[in-house]
Amino acid sequence: MKIKKYLSLTRAGILESLQFRMSLLIMAAGNLLYLIVVYFLWKAIYASSPTDVVNGMTFSDTLIYLVLATALFNFMEMYVVWEIGRNIQSGKIVLDLLKPVDFRRYMFWSYSGSFVVNFVTTFLPTFIVVCIVTNGAVPLGLNLLYFAAAVVMAIVINYSIDFIVATICLFTESIWGINIMKQVVVLLLSGATIPIAFFPETLKTVVYYLPFQSIYNAPLTLLLDGSPSAGKVLGTLGLQLFWCVFMTAVSRIFWKVSLRQITVNGG
Amino acid sequence: MENIIEIKNVTKEFKVLNRREGLKGSLKDLFSRDYKTVRAVDNVSMNITQGEIVGYLGPNGAGKSTTIKMMTGVLEPTSGEILINGRSPYKNRSKNAQEIGVVFGQRSQLWWALPLIESFKLLKDIYMISDADYDNMLKFYQSQVDIEPLLHKTVRQMSLGQRTLSDILAAFLHDPKIVFLDEPTIGLDVSMKSKIRTLIHALNKEKNTTVILTTHDMGDVDALCQRIVIIDKGKMLYDNDISHLKGFFGSYRTLKIRADGDLAQQTELVKKEFPDFSVASDEDWISVLVDEEKAKVMEVLGKLQSTHNIRDMKLEEISTEDVIKKIYEEGVK
Amino acid sequence: MKRKGLRFYLRIYFKILAQDLKSKMSYRADFIISTIGMICTNIAGFVSFWILFRNFPSINGWGYYEMLFLYGFSLVSLTPVQCLFDNNWSLRMYVYNGDFIKYCFRPINLFFYFQSEVFDIKGLGQLAFGLGTLIFSWNKLGLGFTPLMLLKVTVFLITASLIMVALQNAAAATCFWITNSFYLLDLSMKFKDYAKYPITIFSSVFRFIFTFVVPIAFIAYYPSLVILRPDDVPLLTWLSPFIGVLFFWLSYKLWMHGATKYSGTGS
Repeated sequence: MKIKKYLSLTRAGILESLQFRMSLLIMAAGNLLYLIVVYFLWKAIYASSPTDVVNGMTFSDTLIYLVLATALFNFMEMYVVWEIGRNIQSGKIVLDLLKPVDFRRYMFWSYSGSFVVNFVTTFLPTFIVVCIVTNGAVPLGLNLLYFAAAVVMAIVINYSIDFIVATICLFTESIWGINIMKQVVVLLLSGATIPIAFFPETLKTVVYYLPFQSIYNAPLTLLLDGSPSAGKVLGTLGLQLFWCVFMTAVSRIFWKVSLRQITVNGG
Repeated sequence: MENIIEIKNVTKEFKVLNRREGLKGSLKDLFSRDYKTVRAVDNVSMNITQGEIVGYLGPNGAGKSTTIKMMTGVLEPTSGEILINGRSPYKNRSKNAQEIGVVFGQRSQLWWALPLIESFKLLKDIYMISDADYDNMLKFYQSQVDIEPLLHKTVRQMSLGQRTLSDILAAFLHDPKIVFLDEPTIGLDVSMKSKIRTLIHALNKEKNTTVILTTHDMGDVDALCQRIVIIDKGKMLYDNDISHLKGFFGSYRTLKIRADGDLAQQTELVKKEFPDFSVASDEDWISVLVDEEKAKVMEVLGKLQSTHNIRDMKLEEISTEDVIKKIYEEGVK
Repeated sequence: MKRKGLRFYLRIYFKILAQDLKSKMSYRADFIISTIGMICTNIAGFVSFWILFRNFPSINGWGYYEMLFLYGFSLVSLTPVQCLFDNNWSLRMYVYNGDFIKYCFRPINLFFYFQSEVFDIKGLGQLAFGLGTLIFSWNKLGLGFTPLMLLKVTVFLITASLIMVALQNAAAATCFWITNSFYLLDLSMKFKDYAKYPITIFSSVFRFIFTFVVPIAFIAYYPSLVILRPDDVPLLTWLSPFIGVLFFWLSYKLWMHGATKYSGTGS
């Protein structure tokens, strides 16, 4: 059965991830550091502001948002672009193509192991801590379900974008430049560094039409809203679904084109 | 003559992590580590004088690379002492590096994207080679190998053979006292192998450079080495001249026959007929390594004649390869 | 045998560096894209800054242009580590493959040889951006251009760079002992992002940590105080040059210690 094949990849991924105990510690330390900086920064920012609520968000709103955004980022971060880029450069990509699994799916499932580990080690503890520290400022109800659905779609969108970027690398023979541009753009325009609520109006509208906000902003808004209107839920999830399908299709096209490039030029 | 290399009772131990199996094992590894000590080199001693070409042999994992790394100053022995030209290579890595050249496996030390001549120029600067010495060296190289077309190629564009040749030329460029060659002819075609062997021989003669040659290729050994050192499982098995080596197993001779019929089949039959002797086939010949203390060659030939249709035969002294195989298998008695 | 002096090392340095430049020039597309990528990162940083300040007039007594000064300062002090020590990023791959050993056979200082092999041209784009920002904010702050000011800013820029180099060096050196050092190295580069905030935003506990334990404060804050708050320069600022040199020396020692203990995998 196909699913068994994919699940064994997950298992292998988990085994590998566990080996890197040091890196788990370091990642945790890094996150902690970031959170500390963010906490103090925004505290100072709000302290210097004449009002308590800016753009509809209080200090704790902003903080919770950013903390969870970071947790999401760490959870979803995949070094897809790097791995594929390196394989293309070294020519190893040819070996990967020989495996009896669709390459894109193969890559996705081999990262699934680290998803599981990352979720348990970074997102879950952060979430629990936030809930405790803020004394239940985070609603715990049906919104969790919406959140879960949104996260799954966010992962797919993120993966597709990463994959597209990786295929671009094939044509430009450059990994770092493209990757950093993608990362920077995604982080900024998805509301992960600064909540979108703070963006000036024109920028806000532009951002809502891009897929990036569906990666971080969408799941987070669903999570933090205790009683969202049906319209809001459907609208957010619907938009995500659209981007899911669209980006996957685009990545498939990009892949077909690059496949031709690889097979014709031998990597 | 003074010893250029002195190795006294050198031992090298490594701590290796024992990884546990399975998912449960990985979880355990997360919390506690289990190490074991591996002795890669065990009480090895050796003295080498200037100008010798020494073949350093042993099966894979025997400890050759480890010893070489200690001689080049990259590794520190756990116990014992190494002196290269009177100095400890580990404590004086940089100074020691001035007097040695290294061609280490298939890892080129040249600059990948530069034409060979640019690499040479850089090396000239790094090793502070005088203009005169540099020019003379290049002239000498040209007289041995046609290096002119190679000088303007980048390493990236070179074939494996050209790359190896370039690495060797680079290693000798600064007229070092010792050159360590790790499997220099691996993966090369026959004509390239021969070119490289000739080159090494010429350089050794011209510059009196000591050469330590690690190899699995017996052709290299036969062509270049006057002395052989064999190491296995970290222990020294043999250290003496190559002629002495053959004398060891002097009672062995190789009988080769060409028989009618399918080669593989015939070889299998011969193997069954003489289970005590090692039998192999090579092109059309079936070779039987006869231990003359156990049976006379003529008797063996006679037996073979009665069961096979023999077309041709030849008798050879035991090959270096077979001797070394036997040493690996049995140790030196 | 002559001892190898400073002149020797300087001469060799430029020659070895030149070979990397020559080979990089041949990858034109990568060069251009990487430079663009670098500029994108800086622009994105600038944009986040700008968005922030549209909502808040000042942070903890630090105005927009002062913060911009800090930002520009940190970018410039980053240039040496970006351009000259770029090979540190590849260190762990060399160690992993066993290729690192080829650096061990030359009669020149190992650290020197390793670092001189690679020069990161795209760092120059960042330098330009940083200098531009610095000069722009300098102007806006009406600081004036006296030779003394210029001397001060140069000295303290060098100090700040030394600390950044020391951090990255130490992080890279860990690859000699642990397998997944990449995360540490990544973390050390994230520090530069935290460096652009004045440490006055932190509570005293963290101020202590970021000054003495993980010296982020010395990357931009303390050094630039000499310019921005010339009437109230704390002792630590005057100490920074010595701290810079000390940390650099320590990181060098750590790196060399790891390199010499390296046993070389593979035969």
